[in-house]
This record gives sequence, C-alpha cells and structure tokens, in this order.
Amino acid sequence: MKFFQQIFPALALAGLIMILAACAQMKTIPGLPASHPETLAAGQQVSCTECHEDNQKGTLKAYNAFNHSPAFVKNHRFYASSDERLCSTCHKSSFCNDCHTNQVEMKPSIKYGNRPDRDMPHRGNFMTMHKIEGKLDPASCYRCHGRANNERCITCHR
Amino acid sequence: MKMPCARLIPVCLLLALPGAALSAEISVDATSIVSFEQRAYTGAPKKDIVPATQFLGLDAAKLADGNLSLHVYGWGRGDILDKSYNNDQFAGSLTYGYLQYRFKAANADVRAGRFFVHEGIVNEQIDGASFRTDLPLGFGLSAFGGANVHTKKLYNENSDGKGSGNFGGRLNYRYKGVLELGASGQYETNAPALVNYPTVNHRLAGGDVWFSPHKSVELMGHTSYNTVTKGVAEHSYLMNVKPLQHLVLTGEYNDHRERNYFYSWASFSGAALSPAEKSHSLGGRASYGVSKAVEIAADYKHYTREIGNADRYGADIKLSFLNNSVRSGLGYHYLRAGKEFAIGGTPSASYHEMRGYIMHDSRIYFVAVDAIGYLFKEKVNSEKAAWEAMASLGYHITPDLALSGDFSYGRNPQFTEEVKGLARLTYNMTFDSKGGKK
Ligand code: HEC
Ligand code: HEC
Ligand code: HEC
Ligand code: HEC
Ligand code: HEC
Repeated sequence: MKFFQQIFPALALAGLIMILAACAQMKTIPGLPASHPETLAAGQQVSCTECHEDNQKGTLKAYNAFNHSPAFVKNHRFYASSDERLCSTCHKSSFCNDCHTNQVEMKPSIKYGNRPDRDMPHRGNFMTMHKIEGKLDPASCYRCHGRANNERCITCHR
Repeated sequence: MKMPCARLIPVCLLLALPGAALSAEISVDATSIVSFEQRAYTGAPKKDIVPATQFLGLDAAKLADGNLSLHVYGWGRGDILDKSYNNDQFAGSLTYGYLQYRFKAANADVRAGRFFVHEGIVNEQIDGASFRTDLPLGFGLSAFGGANVHTKKLYNENSDGKGSGNFGGRLNYRYKGVLELGASGQYETNAPALVNYPTVNHRLAGGDVWFSPHKSVELMGHTSYNTVTKGVAEHSYLMNVKPLQHLVLTGEYNDHRERNYFYSWASFSGAALSPAEKSHSLGGRASYGVSKAVEIAADYKHYTREIGNADRYGADIKLSFLNNSVRSGLGYHYLRAGKEFAIGGTPSASYHEMRGYIMHDSRIYFVAVDAIGYLFKEKVNSEKAAWEAMASLGYHITPDLALSGDFSYGRNPQFTEEVKGLARLTYNMTFDSKGGKK
C-alpha cells in the first residue's frame, strides 16, 4: 500500500501528461530519434561537429557542446543531468552503469582491462591511493559510493 | 465504451504480444569473466581467489506498436576457491529492468520498473515509474516515484541506511540554444532506524543552469539544498571556453557543506568528515586536439579543506595512428598534499602519478599494455611506490564474440605483491546496426 502511495503522484502526473501529450500542440514539438541514426565506432573522441553543422534547431543545444573532448568526458555529469535523453540515443544505460551503479564488485578498469584508452576511475592499486584521495575530496566519492556501491567498503569502514 | 469491452483491451494486447515480439529487435550483451587473484599481505599467508562473474544485458526494441522497449541488465558471481567478498560464496544484482514507452513527439516517455534517474541535482536508482516530456514554449517536465533500490547492509545494522520510498522530478525551461534553467528535487521517506547513526532521510531541492551566449562559451552548474538540515549542500559550476575549434578551456568551482551534503552518508562518518566543515575545490583544464592523431591536455586543481589544502597538476597526451586502430596515451600528475591527508603515520601525502598505455585493435585480434605507478614522496608502510603493469590479449572469434585474457603484476603498500589474471568472453550484439556502438 505504502508503495502505491509513493508512486501515486508520479502515476497521476504521468496520466496528466498522457492527456497533455494527446493534445495537438504537443504533437508539433519535435522529438529525438530513439537511437542515433549513424553507428559510431568505439575508441574515438566523438566529435559531433565533424558530421553535424551547427544549425541549432528548437531547444537543442549546439552540437559542439557535446563533442566528447577530454574536458567533456571529465565533466559529463553537467550534461547528463539535463540531456540524459540525448545521451541515451547512443548509450545504453549499462554503458553508464559500468562506472556508476548501485551494487557492483568489479572495478570498471578490470572489466575493461582490454580498453586502457577509456577514462575509467581507479586504475592501478586504488586500495592504497583511496586513503589519500578519500580525505582530499570525499564529495567526489559520494557521487558513486556512500548511498550505493558500498559492498567493498563495509568490510573496513564500519 | 462498456466495461466488458474495456476488459478485452488488455487481453487483446496480450494476444498481440507474441506477434509484436517476433517483429522486435532484440539485442544481447554478455560478458563472462573468470579472474584469478593472488594477494600477499605483509605477515599473512597468500590468498587465492577465483571469482567467476557473468554480466548479462538484454534490450528488446520496437515492441507492441513499435514505441515500447524492454531493457534489462544485471550480474551474478560465484567463487571457485577462497571467498572473494564479504564472505558470500555467491552474489548478484539486477542493475536495471524496465519497460519504456516513447512517444513520437516532444521527447515524451514513460518508464516502469527498475532504472536510474538523472534529473538536475537528482541521481537515484528506483523501482517505480517515471515520465518525461517537453512542453510548449520551451518548458519541460519530468517526475519519478517508487521504492529505493537497496544495497548491502551497513556493518552491524539491519539496513543499508536508505529509506523505503523516493520521489521527485524536475521542471525546466529552455530558450533556443542559449539558456536552460531547471528546478529539481527529491523526497525520500521512511528512513530506517539505525543502531549507530541517526535516522536521516535524503531530501534535496535545487536549481541548475546552462547558459551559452555564444557557442564558444558555456556556463553551467547547480546548487543543491538539503531540506532536512536546512542548508546548502553543494555548489558546482563549470565554465567552458572554446576559442578555437579543437581547444577547450574549462574552469570549475565546487563547494560542499559536509553536514548538508553528507547527511545521509552513514558509512563514512570518519575523521576526515567533520560535520561543521565547508570544503571547496577550484580547478582548470585545457585540452587541445592538435590534429586527428594528437590530443594534449593539462589540468590543475586546488583543494581546500579544514584540515589543510592540496594541489594537483599534470598533463596527458593521447595519440592515435593507423586510422585509430593504434591508440596510446601518456600522463603525469603530481599531488602536493600535506601530512593531514597522508596515510596513517606517513609525514606526507604527496605523490607522483605516471601512466602509459598502448593498444591495437584489428578485426581479428586486439592487444593492450598498460602501466601505472604512484611514487610516494615519503614511504608508506616502507614501500616507496604502488605500481601495476598489465597486458591484455584478445581474439575476435566473430565480429560479435571475443575472447580475451589479461595479466597484471604489481607491488604496493596494501598487499606488498598482487598478481591478477582473468579470462573474458564478450558477446555484443547491436541491433539494426544503428544507434552507435551503444
Ligand atoms: C559520423 C557522423 C556523425 C557523428 C560523429 C555524430 N552524428 Fe549525429 N547524426 C549523424 C547522421 C548521419 C544523422 C541523421 C541525419 C540527420 O538528422 O542529420 C544524425 C542525427 C543526429 C540527431 C537527430 C537529429 C534529428 O533532427 O533527428 C541528433 C540529435 C544527433 N545526431 C546528435 C549527435 C551528437 C550529440 C553527436 C556527438 C556526441 C553526434 N550526433 C555525432 C551523423 C553523426
Ligand atoms: C552520437 C552518439 C553519442 C551521444 C549522443 C553521446 N555519446 Fe558519449 N560516447 C559516444 C561514443 C561512440 C563513445 C566512445 C565509446 C567507446 O570508446 O567505447 C562515447 C563515450 C562516452 C563516455 C566515456 C569516455 C571514456 O573514455 O570512457 C562518456 C562518459 C560519455 N560518452 C558520456 C556521454 C553523455 C553524458 C552524453 C549525453 C550528454 C553522451 N555521452 C552522448 C557516443 C555518444
Ligand atoms: C568511464 C566511467 C564513466 C562512464 C562510462 C560514465 N560516467 Fe558518469 N561519472 C563518472 C565519474 C568519474 C563521475 C564523477 C565526476 C566528478 O566528480 O566530477 C561521474 C559523475 C556522473 C554524474 C553526477 C553524479 C552526482 O551524484 O553528482 C552523473 C549524473 C553521471 N555521471 C551520469 C552519467 C551518464 C548518464 C552516463 C552514460 C551516458 C555516464 N555518467 C557514464 C564516470 C563515468
Ligand atoms: C564514477 C563512479 C565512482 C567514483 C566517482 C568513485 N568510485 Fe570508487 N569505485 C567505483 C566502482 C564502480 C568500483 C568497483 C566496485 C567495488 O570494487 O566495490 C569502485 C571501487 C572502489 C574501491 C575498491 C578498489 C579496489 O581496489 O578494489 C575503493 C577503495 C573506492 N572505490 C574508493 C573511492 C574513493 C575514495 C572515491 C573518491 C575519491 C571513489 N571511490 C570515487 C566507482 C566510483
Ligand atoms: C582494506 C580496508 C578498506 C576498504 C575495503 C576500504 N577502505 Fe576506505 N579507508 C581505509 C583506511 C584504513 C582509511 C584511512 C587511512 C588513513 O587515515 O590512514 C580509509 C579512508 C577512506 C576515506 C577518507 C575518509 C576517512 O574516513 O578517513 C574515504 C572517503 C574512504 N576510505 C572511502 C572508501 C570507499 C568508498 C570504499 C569502498 C569502495 C573504501 N573506502 C574501502 C580502508 C579501507
């Protein structure tokens, strides 16, 4: 029962939106394709502007904002928090969950040991290094551990 | 419509499902990893662990009327020799499993099941429902609600510290490609009573902004407010300037109020997390794509905490040859940090970090060599460094199926000696050859 009380607001709103979606005005608002029409190869710094001219339409942000430069990859959280639907035209949820998830045991750098070019967190012996990094910037850890992904930590952190 | 008719609708839908499933596009991703790890602790017998882990994902698109899709991902692990984690011989987790219905217009969708939510300041995983849509005049709305997905119980506690329910959403406004403003929040209910920690709900409200007066300048960030402790939790802002097409200059500023930000972080209330503390970091990064084959980046960050401050700076270079089939990278960073951040009893936390890798990927095989070393300014547990070297070799059995093996050796203050090896079988099927290498 409690569960239903909790999801009720979302369901009610969902219903409301469906009604809204039915109205003609909504139909004229453009949508993204379900998946990006062009297959992109792994292992590159995807440059959107290589293929897309910057004729920005509707409320879409300029394509060059999403060029996967090293800066974008490091700061992708700022884009993911408002454009997750764009990300998901190319990325399955599991792509993101390789690095941040609720419960996993294997470090992403081990799961993808064959991809040293990827920007995986905690390469090498992080057991040692985390004792420094955790004190230096604990807020950065909280994005992935603390309320989730603690399986490993609770053996020592009690 | 009369009631019996209405009841027939789900029945008809059910009857239509098998037909719909036939026309669906189904893709499967599977990664099986058997790893071997030998760890030598100082003054303890060597330990051999051999966990076998299976990751499995299934995506079925174009179900029913073509707009419905199903997405499932999870993993399971069993130990062949000594127990590897927390004394469980077997473990597993359903990462996500949801149905998604996408409307043709307005980026509207409804999701039901277990999934991740990233909306403004909200980052959660729930069992429940969500919907998102764009609205006329540049507005947009999203909402989610359901039960929290729980994880491992905290030590000596009967729960993981998370409450049972969680809901929230985001309202946003976009003006062309120039401005986006968002307001988001989340509300957790029924936080469990813990033995060693106070009972706290995770409740946040906040705003986010993205502003790009010209396509070569972007300012973005968010501020979150903890509605339980009644204080600002986080300010996090980033500015990007792109004076040339392949040059990106970034500046970032992060500010955290420990009590408000970490309020529901029960497992680490350790010495380094003083509730009265404010901490911040300020940094910058420049990355430049010299050509398709060469990319250089340099970064600097200053950390300020009550216990002390620290600086990190360094540079990376990435190279690519032979049509991107050979990729290589080199990096160097130095962390200057005092005793306050050091590992118990060490007079300094400063260290040099060096990394280098090279890999080759062809249609038939792939190979990679990777080495990373941390050189401490002062010895930690009488070890001067923590380093690891890794080699990986793989073979594409078919374009979708690959077998690979990794071997690594390292020495470090934690385990003195660490030998690891693994065998990995990956199967990736991408439907319709579209949608990128998802
Ligand atoms: C290799 C070329 C290529 C690259 C790189 C590329 N795209 Fe595309 N993209 C295409 C093609 C082709 C289409 C389909 C034609 C079109 O709509 O322009 C497309 C379509 C799209 C659409 C749908 C447009 C619409 O109106 O339906 C979006 C959104 C999009 N791309 C975003 C991106 C983003 C963001 C990036 C960078 C992360 C990117 N693309 C990188 C080739 C590319
Ligand atoms: C047009 C397709 C496309 C879009 C849209 C797109 N990406 Fe990517 N992204 C890629 C490809 C291709 C890669 C390279 C994957 C690989 O090498 O295995 C990638 C890699 C990444 C990486 C990992 C980099 C690394 O080195 O490990 C991150 C993080 C990422 N993308 C985040 C995002 C986010 C966040 C968004 C949405 C704001 C997004 N992407 C949108 C195609 C896209
Ligand atoms: C290669 C590993 C990696 C991948 C893949 C990845 N992320 Fe991240 N993500 C990170 C790291 C590291 C951080 C923390 C960055 C920081 O502290 O600035 C992060 C932070 C985030 C945050 C901020 C969380 C918070 O609590 O503030 C969001 C949201 C996010 N990522 C979304 C995504 C999405 C969506 C994808 C998939 C499109 C993705 N990430 C893929 C590594 C990754
Ligand atoms: C992008 C998400 C992300 C961020 C940010 C992150 N971690 Fe992790 N971390 C992971 C994942 C995924 C694992 C693998 C799961 C595991 O071993 O429990 C992991 C594993 C670890 C491990 C075990 C390492 C080992 O050798 O097995 C430690 C310790 C750790 N993290 C500490 C930290 C600390 C301290 C921070 C902040 C400085 C941090 N993490 C930030 C995702 C993250
Ligand atoms: C093998 C035991 C061990 C494991 C496992 C472990 N830690 Fe730690 N961690 C430590 C020790 C010991 C310290 C303190 C080092 C010191 O002060 O000298 C520490 C310090 C920290 C700190 C700094 C704050 C503090 O309380 O001192 C953070 C944050 C942290 N760890 C996070 C994590 C996370 C996140 C994980 C799991 C992903 C994890 N740790 C797993 C042993 C461990």
